[in-house]
Amino acid sequence: MEAPPVTMMPVTGGTINMMEYLLQGSVLDHSLESLIHRLRGLCDNMELETFLDHEMVFLLKGQQASPFVLRARRSMDRAGAPWHLRYLGQPEVGDKNRHALVRNCVDIATSENLTDFLMEMGFRMDHEFVAKGHLFRKGIMKIMVYKIYRILVPGNTESIEALSLSYLVELSVVAPAGQDMVSDDMRNFAEQLKPLVHLEKIDPKRLM
Amino acid sequence: MQREEKQLEASLDALLSQVADLKNSLGSFIYKLENEYDRLTWPSVLDSFALLSGQLNTLNKVLKHEKTPLFRNQVIIPLVLSPDRDEDLMRQTEGRVPVFSHEVVPDHLRTKPDPEVEEQEKQLTTDAARIGADAAQKQIQSLNKMCSNLLEKISKEERESESGGLRPNKQTFNPADTNALVAAVAFGKGLSNWRPSGSSGPGQPGQPGTGTILAGTSGLQQVQITGAPSQQQSMLSGVQMAQAGQPGKMPGGIKTNIKSASMHPYQR
Repeated sequence: MEAPPVTMMPVTGGTINMMEYLLQGSVLDHSLESLIHRLRGLCDNMELETFLDHEMVFLLKGQQASPFVLRARRSMDRAGAPWHLRYLGQPEVGDKNRHALVRNCVDIATSENLTDFLMEMGFRMDHEFVAKGHLFRKGIMKIMVYKIYRILVPGNTESIEALSLSYLVELSVVAPAGQDMVSDDMRNFAEQLKPLVHLEKIDPKRLM
Repeated sequence: MQREEKQLEASLDALLSQVADLKNSLGSFIYKLENEYDRLTWPSVLDSFALLSGQLNTLNKVLKHEKTPLFRNQVIIPLVLSPDRDEDLMRQTEGRVPVFSHEVVPDHLRTKPDPEVEEQEKQLTTDAARIGADAAQKQIQSLNKMCSNLLEKISKEERESESGGLRPNKQTFNPADTNALVAAVAFGKGLSNWRPSGSSGPGQPGQPGTGTILAGTSGLQQVQITGAPSQQQSMLSGVQMAQAGQPGKMPGGIKTNIKSASMHPYQR
């Protein structure tokens, strides 16, 4: 007798809809050390992981007013790592009780000719930045503490300047749709980082 | 009678334990002073003094306790004086009094203070009596007032320095920065790759206000050109539109392909 299939979900085609749950905050430069210490204590035990990424945001203008946004990210300090293409949808307007920002998320690893491919498809680069910081993990939660650098000369990642005197702190989880208890776990973790950092859901549309 | 005896014994035990504690703390204080004098700090000395004063206080409380019989009414009379070593006594006094003899007894069983001390005390009492009750009261009041003033000054100083120290520590994040950073990551506010010519260039990326307006116009090009408020901005964004016009023509030709691309080609 054949074993029953592992997944009981109906295979109708298509990928599982992954959602990104996000909480953001910031920390001033002089408090970064204490935050890193606290995160090292709270998160899974691993070597302090730093990253230096260059992210480019591409827009495709169609007839509709809102352009289609794709984010291409490459690692500047890890040779041979694939490029990362990401689509982020609009934040879901769920109930107010949901503690984190939820949006549809598609992540794809690509080869190095991603920018050429996107340009051929008709995308145009809207903006780019360099992100340099630290990465922590706790279970499925990913915590990134990084500084955003503005690129002064387009295409030249050497001439960069910091955007502000703070580091951005992001707590994110990528999980299948419908798992709302994830946001409760995130909120509990965020509580442990107060009063150093206030992680909250910030609606980007409010800041436009 | 028996009740009084029991009370006496109980109070004696309490007194003994208090005195033993006092002795221990005195001993440790002396040790500290003798051996660690170069590392000693004033707060540590204050701590020891506070400990001693606390213990003396409890001793006083035990003596004043209502269950304590008046020790004044008890008299200790040595019954047997012998120059031999007494092991029992040694054990009880922890080796300090080996012999219950004629030299030891006057020192240990005395009730009057030293003659010099007695003299000083008599002098003090005559002085106090000389001043008179009113003046004494006034002096007491002025002393109390000065003490309370001093205490208030010290506590105010402490409070002020504490709150001053706390405030700079509290600011570990800046909400304005949070918003700026989130906006930068979400839609590139302040990161515009649009480079204006010459003089306006270095000034504007530094000013978040104009930066946002510029980013806004560059982000929503063809739709919002008419919304640009100032002359300069409309001219510059007009320049950009001209640049974008040409690449804009290309997507028109391959429109259908792009549409399918945006509908998740990976859907299979």
